[in-house]
Amino acid sequence: MEASAIKVRLKDVLVSILDHDNFELHDELTAKDVDGWDSLSHMMIITKIEEGFDIKFKLRDLNKLKNLGSLVSVIQAKI
Amino acid sequence: MVFNSLEFVGFIIPVFLLYWFVFSKSSVYQNLFLLITSVLFYVWADWRFLILLAASILVNFYLGIKIYKVPEDRKKSIFLYIGLIFNVGLLLYFKYFNFFYEGFYDVLASFGLASEHSALQILLPLGISFFTFQTLGYLTDVYNEEIEPNTNLLEFSVFVSFFPKILSGPIERAASFIPQIQEKRKPSYEVAVDGLRQILWGLFAKIVIAENCAHFTNTIFDQYQDKSGSVLLVGTFFYAIQLYADFSGYSNMAIGISKLFGIQLMRNFATPFFSVNISDFWRKWHISLTTWMMDYVFTPLSFTLRKHQKKGLVISIIATFILVGFWHGANWTFVVYGLLHGIYFIPLVYSGKMNSSEIVAKGRMIPSIKDILKMLMLFVLIMLTDVFFRADSVGMALDYLRVIFSPSLFTVPTVLFSNVAIITLGLIGVFIVTEWVNREKKHDFEISNYPIYIRWGCYIMLFSLILFFGKSASTFIYFQF
Repeated sequence: MEASAIKVRLKDVLVSILDHDNFELHDELTAKDVDGWDSLSHMMIITKIEEGFDIKFKLRDLNKLKNLGSLVSVIQAKI
Repeated sequence: MVFNSLEFVGFIIPVFLLYWFVFSKSSVYQNLFLLITSVLFYVWADWRFLILLAASILVNFYLGIKIYKVPEDRKKSIFLYIGLIFNVGLLLYFKYFNFFYEGFYDVLASFGLASEHSALQILLPLGISFFTFQTLGYLTDVYNEEIEPNTNLLEFSVFVSFFPKILSGPIERAASFIPQIQEKRKPSYEVAVDGLRQILWGLFAKIVIAENCAHFTNTIFDQYQDKSGSVLLVGTFFYAIQLYADFSGYSNMAIGISKLFGIQLMRNFATPFFSVNISDFWRKWHISLTTWMMDYVFTPLSFTLRKHQKKGLVISIIATFILVGFWHGANWTFVVYGLLHGIYFIPLVYSGKMNSSEIVAKGRMIPSIKDILKMLMLFVLIMLTDVFFRADSVGMALDYLRVIFSPSLFTVPTVLFSNVAIITLGLIGVFIVTEWVNREKKHDFEISNYPIYIRWGCYIMLFSLILFFGKSASTFIYFQF
């Protein structure tokens, strides 16, 4: 899947968990830049991504997530 | 040899001079000298466990390289598990053996199966809780491909044994510590002076604040049976301040001493009493331990339980905090202490305010009434919970709290009617106000941008307070952990 298509679906996931869309999706975006993206919502976002893309993360994948760009490439490698 | 002793002054001055003037040619010379110094320091404190420390260094060094080099994932995890078993095993044996041994016998005895027994005499190796956590974190980071293993035994040995942090932390991470010793350190006047300021502040916190509070807490906690509720409440207040001043004082001295050698350790306390909720507090209290627990316990656990949403999160938090408590020692009091702190998180999880952490009244001198009330309520909660931290047994803690919540709470706490008490409260005032003023700074006594007369005024004031009110102290609360 194209990175841009993944991002579109990611945006839906984020909006559904965080209840707002006050963020711009770009590769350098980090959780800190987004209101409400904390350690609680992080796990809920991860679960939602797993369901949405029908993939399974490993804990090691999670440690590698530094920003949105790395999240997209981890997803790409899984589907 | 504690930092606040003349012995240590006699040790650190020649070490400082030799480091910068004799062994300054390259990073190898500097590291070799730091290793020798650290070994001397450790041997001085307790020579019996040097072999244990050396074994820990060698085993973890070897395992780090192995985890990285073997190609198959399965073998990587085998080496990681060997490391976990080795490090956790050391801790379990030296720190917790008697706890489980006694528990086991109690169970047998309740079935009438056990005969007389006595606990084993196991000495706690100094600093073991701190250096094993460092090496555990190191192996996990290598396994997770967060860092590459260190292939230089000299550097790795300095990472584990560096003397300012060996006895009581901060619990350092390889990713921030090792790169600093891979290059030659250059002397910096500003960094050294900043380190000295931090040492001075730590010394004040320890020998003026913590030790004067200890004068009260020792009497009140040791003879709590014949005290009234109001006096016991005063006792918990002094203990909360003592615990903080003792450990943050130690940490500031450790970080300051390290700066004298051009090495930055991580911040361990960020004015934790100026917090508005429990999550905010733990982000500022014993940071090197809580971030460690967050990365290596809480995250994996909440990841495993992620399907259970908020319930999974609550279970992860409580389990993590029980472990935080138990880390402090093999006693049920610490388990209860951790459990209670975990429970305090539940309302935050359900209200979704877990991560709201900010500096209180940022950019202003005076906080709002709402913030003051929040800070006060949190402080009272923490100070009452600290009773479990200080008490010898859960039974004693419950007794102590029962007396606080009895009618004798409404008596006059006569313990405060003495010159010593009034002076101690005044000193605590100086301590808290200084921390408040500097709460947005990099450390509690970062006053480099003040005019020279204010800086020197502060130094002279602290020196005089230390001279007049300082008490000698031969140990720190956290040395026993």
